[in-house]
Amino acid sequence: MLKPSQQIVIDIFQDGSEFAISVVEKLQRLRVARRVRVKNLSDWRSDLNHVHPTLVVTSELVPQLLSPLRCPQQLLILPRASDLESSLRWHGDVLSWPEKTGVLLQRIDLMANSFNTARQLNAVRESLIWHTQRVEREHELIEHIFRNALSRNFTHYEHIRTLLTPASKFNGDLCLITPGPLGNLYILMADFTGHGLAPATGALPLSQAFFAMADRGVSVSEMVVEFNYRLHRLLPSDMFCACFLMELSASGKRLTYWNGGMPPALVFGPDGMVKHRLRAQHMALGVLSVDDFDSQVATISTRTDDTIAMYTDGVIEMLSQRDEFLGMDAFEEIIQTYPGTANFDRLVAELENFRGSQPLQDDVSLAILECCPTGLEPPEIGPELQALPFVFSTVLDAEDLQQIDVVASILGILGRLPALHAHRTTIYLLLAEVFNNALEHGLLGLDSRMKNDPEGFAYYYQLRADRLQALTSGSISIEVCFEQRRNYLKFTVRNTGLPWARAELASLDKTSLPYGRGLDLLQQLACDLNWSDEGREVSFGYYLTSS
Amino acid sequence: MSITRHVSNDGKELTIAVHGKFDFGLVQEFRRAYSSVGDEKPTVYIDLRETEYLDSSALGMLLNMRKALSDGVKGIHIINSRPEVKNILDISRFDKLFTIE
Repeated sequence: MLKPSQQIVIDIFQDGSEFAISVVEKLQRLRVARRVRVKNLSDWRSDLNHVHPTLVVTSELVPQLLSPLRCPQQLLILPRASDLESSLRWHGDVLSWPEKTGVLLQRIDLMANSFNTARQLNAVRESLIWHTQRVEREHELIEHIFRNALSRNFTHYEHIRTLLTPASKFNGDLCLITPGPLGNLYILMADFTGHGLAPATGALPLSQAFFAMADRGVSVSEMVVEFNYRLHRLLPSDMFCACFLMELSASGKRLTYWNGGMPPALVFGPDGMVKHRLRAQHMALGVLSVDDFDSQVATISTRTDDTIAMYTDGVIEMLSQRDEFLGMDAFEEIIQTYPGTANFDRLVAELENFRGSQPLQDDVSLAILECCPTGLEPPEIGPELQALPFVFSTVLDAEDLQQIDVVASILGILGRLPALHAHRTTIYLLLAEVFNNALEHGLLGLDSRMKNDPEGFAYYYQLRADRLQALTSGSISIEVCFEQRRNYLKFTVRNTGLPWARAELASLDKTSLPYGRGLDLLQQLACDLNWSDEGREVSFGYYLTSS
Repeated sequence: MSITRHVSNDGKELTIAVHGKFDFGLVQEFRRAYSSVGDEKPTVYIDLRETEYLDSSALGMLLNMRKALSDGVKGIHIINSRPEVKNILDISRFDKLFTIE
């Protein structure tokens, strides 16, 4: 649309003088545009943003014409006799009337041309401004999302120091730290191919999965399986993610790691001597399909005064001012000179010193962790809700017993109690002991002494399964009563089978005997344990407040 | 997959993780998990981080494992027990028979 064969619309402002009327008539005759819109000069203003090429036809140069023009691509047509001196004060183009038709048309054409070009330039400029603002806004948005996604990153853990320097606005490296539920600590150091926004987007699903799985205390090997599955599905085939994932036990003595495509993490003693190089034994995440992926982890023992350095290749491939790579050996040397987290600032200064004013070619990430006991307490459970007092009971006949996982089902019901969470394992155990006792001894007539050797142990449970399948009569009833005021649960389990004497086990040393332990556990973990009806009815209580 | 089994690259560590419910329903599966420990005399780690429930049959299974392996392994460690599970192991005096981390 830069130069149409003929201008479609031209606006003419005229002052109503005879001169102007004759000029407009001539122009219309010449068909200077497919459509000529004639307007009054009184409607013209210098700050108008014209949408069409504009002619101003006037017999005299009125003062309002002399202000600076918002749109200088306008052609002023004056009578030849008028004062040309003052017409120079007009900021647009001027033509003295009359003029040869050829010249006239050429001048109008030129004006229309430069008007259209200017207008197009403006449009491009505005769209550029709009796009820049949009990109900025989107970056802000993404930064916000990243900040939130990583807000729970535990970088302030007291035994770790980190250096995370992106080469551009967004970091294609990822360093995630989070405590597990057992006082253990997880650290992930990852490096997506490339740097900038594209690789940084892979950080979102990875970090979400990392935090969620760490909360559950999932093992390193299961974590990498999940990460790989997600990234394999998500990333384009030319993008992947080198990753070092480690878990330090609460004691600080056991370090489990998986290294896929990352430079070797270094474990060094207090003297800075490298004890282990935890090299990559696997492909990066996102490369292999689930079937080919290898989640094999390795474990090393660590000492309290050991330190581990994890880093991305941006560190060892850092360029000096003289374009030399830092390299693995020089990096180890720097670490040996400044071992431990206490010297971290000096280590970083040394790296900065090496790089000088050389711009970063890649994201640079480095973390140094002390392998000391983490001192991380399992998270506390929030304030407890009120619960209703209740009683429920169930009677299970042979068919029910064959089909229902009774203990798990009852735990499922009790799971609604707010305070149960911290006690569910213990309650499960207690109820399982009493229930299994009722079933195995009362209804199925099994003898625990059979469990004395490993073969008998397995046989016992085979027999349990067989006899349960063959069971046709008898039942077990269970009553659970919750006293809200005392936070007290009472369980009563009754069976219609054989009487059972518990005394026979009491005198044995059961520490290493594979059976007979249930009773001890009941006595120690439950309260108000009571046997009646020759062992057919057992009841026990449990306070949900006890720890 | 209630039990996952994992041998370290050098064959010196065998990790057996029990997920969810650890009881007699896993008798065979658990035995299989430690049936071939290799010639490296590995250290066995029983990882209970994802063990939600257990009962006395699980304790019996652990003792049977100890009996079966005794000389074939360097030691048996029970690791990552949740506080409640740890309490149950303590009450059963398993600390005398296993290394509990």
